Amino acid sequence: MFGRPGSVNKAGHREVQVTYEEFADARLGALLRYAVMLTGDPHQAQDLVQETMVRVQLNWRRVARTDAPERYVRRMLTNQYVDWRRGSWARRVLLRSDPDEAVPAPTDHAQSAVDRDQVWSWLSRLPRRQRATLVLRYYEDLPDAEIAEILGCAVGTVRSCISRALATLRAEYVEVCS
Amino acid sequence: MIEDDLRAAFARHESLAPPAGPVRAAIDQTVVRRRRRLRLAGTAMAVVAAALTGFTAIAPQHREAGTLLAEPTASAPTGALNVLLLGVDAAGPDESRRADSILLVHVPADRSRLYLVSLPRDLLVPIPGQGTDKLNKSFTSSATSGNGDLTRGYDRTRQVVAQLTGVRIDAGAVLTYRAARDLTDAVGGVPVCLPAPVRSVHTDRRFPAGCQQLGGGEVVDLLRQRYGLRDAARDRDRNAERYAAGLLRQIHERGGLTDPVLFSKLIGQVGSGLVTDTGDLSLPSLVSMAGQAADAEPVGLGLPVRYVDKPTIGFGLDPALAPGFLDALRNDRLGEWTEAHPDQVNTLR
Repeated sequence: MFGRPGSVNKAGHREVQVTYEEFADARLGALLRYAVMLTGDPHQAQDLVQETMVRVQLNWRRVARTDAPERYVRRMLTNQYVDWRRGSWARRVLLRSDPDEAVPAPTDHAQSAVDRDQVWSWLSRLPRRQRATLVLRYYEDLPDAEIAEILGCAVGTVRSCISRALATLRAEYVEVCS
Repeated sequence: MIEDDLRAAFARHESLAPPAGPVRAAIDQTVVRRRRRLRLAGTAMAVVAAALTGFTAIAPQHREAGTLLAEPTASAPTGALNVLLLGVDAAGPDESRRADSILLVHVPADRSRLYLVSLPRDLLVPIPGQGTDKLNKSFTSSATSGNGDLTRGYDRTRQVVAQLTGVRIDAGAVLTYRAARDLTDAVGGVPVCLPAPVRSVHTDRRFPAGCQQLGGGEVVDLLRQRYGLRDAARDRDRNAERYAAGLLRQIHERGGLTDPVLFSKLIGQVGSGLVTDTGDLSLPSLVSMAGQAADAEPVGLGLPVRYVDKPTIGFGLDPALAPGFLDALRNDRLGEWTEAHPDQVNTLR
């Protein structure tokens, strides 16, 4: 429902207005999952989504006026994540408890699970922007043009970002196998 | 292959996503708080009132309040004043204390209002003889137990704060938990307005969002809480400012800031957990200044900082905001600075 363009007439008046409540009902879960894929950590994901959605709610009229509110919000969230050193949410995470900010170890201690989750832990070593491109392509299954729009860069940049990220992961594979 | 592994890894970790319900509630609470913060600009701290109380307790009691206000003594300071107020925690096993609430009260030269500036206890600062450490540790190394040591701890922290801010500290006070409790009870409880609910990790007591009248024991419980607050110790600093504002208002409304007798009664009930320093100032002039400035709602501020992880985890001065802020503080232009940075004002009520 929120992926479709909103109806805005020529005078700029909203005809079909999605309310913030409807948006949150429908999309908050998906945004939290997306944030987990980006951050690799449920607490950081929660803080990231919370900070973003506070701004979304405070500026809801502007958000709702865009063609695709969800894409707009996803873009806000992604930028917040990529810029996290500069953003305010990171230091909240870090000060909330004693610093143990490493990506959490897999809770399943079976050896097979550890092996499977190696890909997941390698992701945490990628630069944030690269990780975001992987999440958008392989988790959200978005076309490169839309990924480019979310990250605010050219399609070619998205592709080179992804191929560099995949090359890094492949190198990890080689290291483990040799 | 790797693409498939990636998809599988993402799918497996979907279960890490936190449930939406509590997140939704937290978002709504924060929105309410920020909207309120946009509307309001006003504040003070418990320790403010404690310091004022302390000063006044030994003020000459034969003079009428009106005389004090109308005829400041010849030595009355005419410029801006800065008063340092420290809330210290319970003495640890080694008898050491830390200054966990650090508040600089700026009284502008026009005495129009009080500016309460909280300094984060986790601010990394150079401490004489200790290298770089957190601001709250500046109290520790010399303060052990007893009032003599509260005084020494105050002196060390005062030096560090003066160096950090570049302002002269004209007076100050130290308040222990017990003093905060006794002072609160002595004024018949203090109204505190919280933007979000707080749960005590020590007693499991719940403080709802909104305004409430708190007794001494409840106040101490509230002022100790930082875990679970969104902004941790910085939110606790804000709660301390809210309490201070409530206490100041409570005392002022009862005429306490102009009635030396009430003051000395209060100070008698607080006792040895409160240590004050009046520096070079005369007591009547401090009373006079406090009485004037407390007529207006105080403004709550925090030293602009940002998170750093070197040399250790803590706060450093915000390079964008702190220079301008400190410049305004030194030159008595906090009013202008606050107008230019309304988002930096803490909501006090």
